[in-house]
Amino acid sequence: MNMHVSDAAPDPAIRASTRGARVVLRGLEKSFGAHRVLHGIDIDIPAGQFVAIVGRSGCGKSTLLRLIAGLDQPAAGTVDPGGEIVRLMFQEPRLLPWQRVLANVEVGLAHADRQTRTRRSQDVLAQVGLTGRGGDWPAVLSGGQKQRVALARALVGQPTLLALDEPLGALDALTRIEMQELIETVWREKGFTAIVVTHDVTEAVALADRILVVEDGRIAMDVQVDVPRPRRRGDAAAAAIEGRILDRLLTRQATFSA
Amino acid sequence: MKRFLPWIVPGLLILVWQAAGQTGMLRAQILPMPTAVASAAWTLARTGELWSHVEISAWRALTGFAIGGGIGFALGMANGLSRLSEAVLDSTLQMVRNIPHLALIPLVILWFGVDEQAKIFLVALGVFFPIYVNTLHGVRSVDRHLLEMGRAYGMTGRQIFLRIVLPGALPSVFVGLRYGLGIMWLTLIVAETISASSGIGYMAMNAREFMLVDVVVFAILIYAALGKLADSIARWLERVCLAWNPVYAKAR
Ligand SMILES: Nc1ncnc2c1ncn2[C@@H]1O[C@H](COP(=O)(O)OP(=O)(O)O)[C@@H](O)[C@H]1O
Ligand SMILES: [Mg+2]
Repeated sequence: MNMHVSDAAPDPAIRASTRGARVVLRGLEKSFGAHRVLHGIDIDIPAGQFVAIVGRSGCGKSTLLRLIAGLDQPAAGTVDPGGEIVRLMFQEPRLLPWQRVLANVEVGLAHADRQTRTRRSQDVLAQVGLTGRGGDWPAVLSGGQKQRVALARALVGQPTLLALDEPLGALDALTRIEMQELIETVWREKGFTAIVVTHDVTEAVALADRILVVEDGRIAMDVQVDVPRPRRRGDAAAAAIEGRILDRLLTRQATFSA
Repeated sequence: MKRFLPWIVPGLLILVWQAAGQTGMLRAQILPMPTAVASAAWTLARTGELWSHVEISAWRALTGFAIGGGIGFALGMANGLSRLSEAVLDSTLQMVRNIPHLALIPLVILWFGVDEQAKIFLVALGVFFPIYVNTLHGVRSVDRHLLEMGRAYGMTGRQIFLRIVLPGALPSVFVGLRYGLGIMWLTLIVAETISASSGIGYMAMNAREFMLVDVVVFAILIYAALGKLADSIARWLERVCLAWNPVYAKAR
């Protein structure tokens, strides 16, 4: 099963040269009042890697992602996404309800002139499968379509780092799978570095090159997912990795409640 | 066909009213017949008296509304955006709000006499609070997530205000606007009835002295019509400005 790994898995070293950001975190700490959420996170993410962050609810995943994306400042330590273009996608689409779909995508491209903005936004809308929907109000779109618009808005600025915080958490099972495939496709095409926070270990294993398990504000596991792409659902190697991670997460829970 | 349904009851009422007058059940000194009101209206319109009263009343209403609404909107925005401004001003404004503005009429007459300022001041004061309160509430209730999104996408403060805060607060501002319009007419009716030498309220009071009940009834109808007109304009603006909102889009 793992025999094909080396030639099928994307090679971060090659991606690095072009369009992905290398992200280096050193001794990262964050507290809210007296509550220390992250203590001493060290991660080195090579350019172009697809990383999934999993962990129990409230363990600090979102906090970590917000630090990486520069939305918050750490109490100590450094975040270095190397002056790159960072885009963030959230669980809620966060579209401006009073702007039409196309204008919402253009939000991601503030500094271009009008013509370029419109043209590029239309291109990206087509990429996420929403050709011709640019003139609609967000209110008429389904949950999945809204997330596609949010993805288009994130992509249109050609980010080198895309940070996603449970982006598919609110979607139904089929839409989730479709969106996972879409995200994987654009990631392979564009070569940006992707960091996705998810509570769904299956999703993490389906998408990521590498899975970080956060526990008590630290990285408890750092797992390489050497499964060739495109990945089949129900792949045995993937299932094994999923099992290991779930065991870890569930054992912890058992220890806590005991 | 459906469009005519709402008009059946008012139509019947007018017929009954007319019939009651015609048969003498309703004396003209109490309530003149619709035809009498219509002919009084026609006379007033032909002599031009009507238009000069409507004009002066509308001018007072709009000037007072613009001043009170403008200040209310500006302070609502300022206090919604700035904690400091809110800390300094909001509790004072909330205190003043508890004074019914019509209670100030004697004082206002002392200050301004029966001049234009008196009426405009009262209208402005009455309109101020609903617009202030609703603008403030609108700014406060702007989705925090959207603000964060704007910042994450590198919007400047000005862009965040124009593209997120202002449109986000607008539905609430419109609630205040329509409420304020109601208060605007109410204030003007009271102010013109009590102290004025022109305007629709004055026309009604003047007619009362000469027992011209048909003119009095007509003046009341004009107020109703103007109030309805203002509300329709506000609704139309609301539909245009809030077309993105399915609640308003459906009402079209
Ligand atoms: N702005 C904040 N103020 C106070 N506490 C916070 C804030 N953000 C997060 N926390 C706390 O930090 C911890 C981690 O939160 P979060 O990163 O959102 O967890 P996760 O995304 O893994 O579910 C939680 O205990 C949460 O209550
Ligand atoms: Mg979270």
